[in-house]
Amino acid sequence: MRSRVDSRPALEWVLRAGSLALLAWMIWLSTAARRAAGEHRVSSSATLGDSLAAWTLDPRADSLHAALDELPRGEERDWLAALRRAGATVTWSSPASTPVALAVEALNDPAGGVRASLAAPSGALVVVSDSLGVLDTVVMAGPSAALRARAVLGGARASAGGASASAALRDSLVQRGVAVIGRAGWEAKFVIAALEESGWKVSARLAVAPDIFVRQGSVKLDTASTGVVVALDSTAARDARAIERFVRSGGGLVLAGDAARSAGFARIAAGGVGTRVRSVAISFSDSAPRRALGFYPISARADDVVPLESRDGAMAVAARRVGAGRVVQLGYDETWRWRLQGGSTSPEAHRAWWSSVIGSAAYRAARQSTLHGETLDPAPLAATFSALGAPVAPERAAPALQVRPGLRWWMLLMLLAMLLAEWASRRLRGAS
Amino acid sequence: MSDFVFATARYESGDWDSAPLVPPNIIDTIARYTSIDVAPTGVVVPLSSPDLARYPLVFLTGHLPVRFTKEEHEQLAQFIDRGGMLFVDDHNHDIDGAFHKTASEEIRRTVGPLADLPNDHPIYSAFFHFPDGPPNTGHELNGWGDNLLHKHLLAVQREGRIAVLYSNKDYSSEWGYHPDNKRFLAVDNTRFAVNIVVYALTR
Repeated sequence: MRSRVDSRPALEWVLRAGSLALLAWMIWLSTAARRAAGEHRVSSSATLGDSLAAWTLDPRADSLHAALDELPRGEERDWLAALRRAGATVTWSSPASTPVALAVEALNDPAGGVRASLAAPSGALVVVSDSLGVLDTVVMAGPSAALRARAVLGGARASAGGASASAALRDSLVQRGVAVIGRAGWEAKFVIAALEESGWKVSARLAVAPDIFVRQGSVKLDTASTGVVVALDSTAARDARAIERFVRSGGGLVLAGDAARSAGFARIAAGGVGTRVRSVAISFSDSAPRRALGFYPISARADDVVPLESRDGAMAVAARRVGAGRVVQLGYDETWRWRLQGGSTSPEAHRAWWSSVIGSAAYRAARQSTLHGETLDPAPLAATFSALGAPVAPERAAPALQVRPGLRWWMLLMLLAMLLAEWASRRLRGAS
Repeated sequence: MSDFVFATARYESGDWDSAPLVPPNIIDTIARYTSIDVAPTGVVVPLSSPDLARYPLVFLTGHLPVRFTKEEHEQLAQFIDRGGMLFVDDHNHDIDGAFHKTASEEIRRTVGPLADLPNDHPIYSAFFHFPDGPPNTGHELNGWGDNLLHKHLLAVQREGRIAVLYSNKDYSSEWGYHPDNKRFLAVDNTRFAVNIVVYALTR
């Protein structure tokens, strides 16, 4: 049987271990409390600017949470991101987390104009404005929408659900001419007429007999003078190599009707040309006028072909990038019938459609805009996610360490008592 | 489908079918000199019909007084507004004739007033070259009709292109023969028709 004297060393070991554990706990508690003491909270976006300056100067500020009324502005977001990269734990929350994004670009159209492309949740009411006032309001029917405006003065702004995105034109376009190549015929005549009425500068070379052409202006296959070439039929194939060079260097090409059937265009066409399908409508309706046109179905040859318009399951319009340029392939032919035989608005609709086709394919020579120095935020929520991560609910953002008052004193007394007991035990049994 | 179909206008008043051999002769000329895809036979289209819009170049001739109906007036106005071209030939070659007086008035009322077409207009070099303007016809040279050599054609122009081309030269008689008989001519007298068609198809 072990005596009480024999069990004392074990008791002393327990007291020493307990003292060390207590000491470690006190040290951790002290450090954690110091961390908790460095946290700041922002209840209003209005104070964020001052808080950022204070956080930056406060060496204890190593865990930060921004509880914002609205999404941070670009410079505030960048500041928070910088603090995060400097080692601070930065979290944020905001009730204004409606994802809204805006882009504006100049239309490649002689009539000018600007297209604003919007992204926002379906059903959201988006107000689009510029420096002069509201341009338009859009109730989102899907995740994206676009609207056209004659011009945007200063920057454009899209606001929805407390969030606001801003964007501005970054460049303006230098318009180039359009070269029409094909056989003399009604399609050539009325395509040229539609483009000229839209304001495009058109040159043409139309075959009327073997090696005899009717020329309008000078057809130049270079991007300095021509933005897009319209190949109306297979007669353009004699220039296929020059046209391919033109497209690869940034020019646009519209292959209409059965022009893409020519072997010379096989490498750059969006697809093959099928058997002509007759029109499915007798008359040209305002809602779907091209259903009254016959067309050649396009069968995609390459993976990068983008279908732009389909009819009865077949591609009627398709596009692809070739080198630095674009190719738009139209399956439709005899579009002149739309202009002449359609309803009262068909001449304008035919004209607008052809102008938009040319604009989508045309070489875009951009020049520097004079709009500089304005802080723009085209997608504020996405940028905030990218810079600061997902939002964190305020109550979950690094809660402050709760230490009961007097606990530290009780721990210190207990530590001292244990050390004293260990010392006394050793002295009483005669150990050194 | 053929791109070009030669169409003759039928109208309620007058004698629209006074030159039945002109269409086949012009079709023959187009096929003979050009690679234009031309339908082998022409069509007759009522001036009052929406079908007028299917044929952007329409030929109209006659001897008798012309008075367009309301429907003809409306269809023709829309046809011209949308880019169609009307070629009118006075089969009388007589500026005091009933056709000229009434047809030019109807054109003025529907499209606008006729004016002299300069002899250096692009239509005279659209295919064959006619440096002196419109070719004269045998009927003019023989002194028939108004006993005049008409130096100019007349036209209504819209935005720089001919919308209505009007002739007092009586091409309806000049070109009104069977195409096979061209072999008896030293110079084909229908060549100017090629210029009219090529101009219509390209401008």
